[in-house]
Amino acid sequence: MIGCYDFCGHYEWTFQWLHDQRDDDLVHQFWDEAIGGDSQSHASKLIREKGFTGMGEYWAHTLAEEAAGYATTQGDGVFRLDINDCPSKGFLLRNNLEQYPDYCDHCIGWIGSVMETAGFAIDHQHNHCGQCWWEFRRQGTPSDTPAKSPWLFRNFHTDTFHLASGPKDKQSSSHD
Amino acid sequence: MTGPLPYTDTKSVGAADFYFAINATFRFIRRQLGEAALHQYWTDLGSRYFAPVSLHWKTGNIPAVANYWRAFFAAEPGAEVTVTEASDHVLLDVRVCPAIAQPAGLTVRVLGGNGSCHQTFAATQAPQDLADIREAI
Repeated sequence: MIGCYDFCGHYEWTFQWLHDQRDDDLVHQFWDEAIGGDSQSHASKLIREKGFTGMGEYWAHTLAEEAAGYATTQGDGVFRLDINDCPSKGFLLRNNLEQYPDYCDHCIGWIGSVMETAGFAIDHQHNHCGQCWWEFRRQGTPSDTPAKSPWLFRNFHTDTFHLASGPKDKQSSSHD
Repeated sequence: MTGPLPYTDTKSVGAADFYFAINATFRFIRRQLGEAALHQYWTDLGSRYFAPVSLHWKTGNIPAVANYWRAFFAAEPGAEVTVTEASDHVLLDVRVCPAIAQPAGLTVRVLGGNGSCHQTFAATQAPQDLADIREAI
């Protein structure tokens, strides 16, 4: 039996397995279809139907169940999610598991299409060390190019997305 | 492996939502790459990702197998499994499979064994015919 206790381990291993079968496009398709369109279809429904309220409901349940360190805030026309202790990446780091070169991309890989379908654009940064932030706005709403958050400490490898809807919209990947 | 499980987490029990993602992964691989590729995925997962488990069982023998399954099911939400260790075998009595019974509300029936089988998952099925499961060789 394949368990859920070490799910993040075999999930990450699967990305590289899929890459080896074909290419990164298959990995991106997996995130979009199998995760965003299939296993997380309840998130898609919630966010389509309830917008920011649906985002709050979804992440309150999911991140609490996964025991994440996180905060959500809703401002004027924006929903923000800050994760300072990602349980998923944290599991991989603690167990020294890395098959696929950018595990963190899987999140925007499935959230991107969910948000695009629901009419939202994404600003996002992740640092590959278990910290990231997200801002969701209605498509067409302007936003500044993301500035680095203070908790994205130096010497981390930070990826930036601006008005994005998927992993291919990565704007920059910087090593400070 | 320092304990019975190859990978450990800070929380004691996994999140049941992930069973849906595991099942969705199987569906995706079968749809995109075919049935044979799905079987290869399971084989590769067992021989590569779970390689530390194989090694642990090879060196630790029956007690290592029993300890693994005890720790495994203790970390799966809602599992009701008894692990019985004998001198020459380990018996798993799965009364409630956490992946099938709770999130999915499905039953599983097995046909075959010894490295090749068909497993059918459905909401209602006739009881498992034990003659359909080949005796281990």
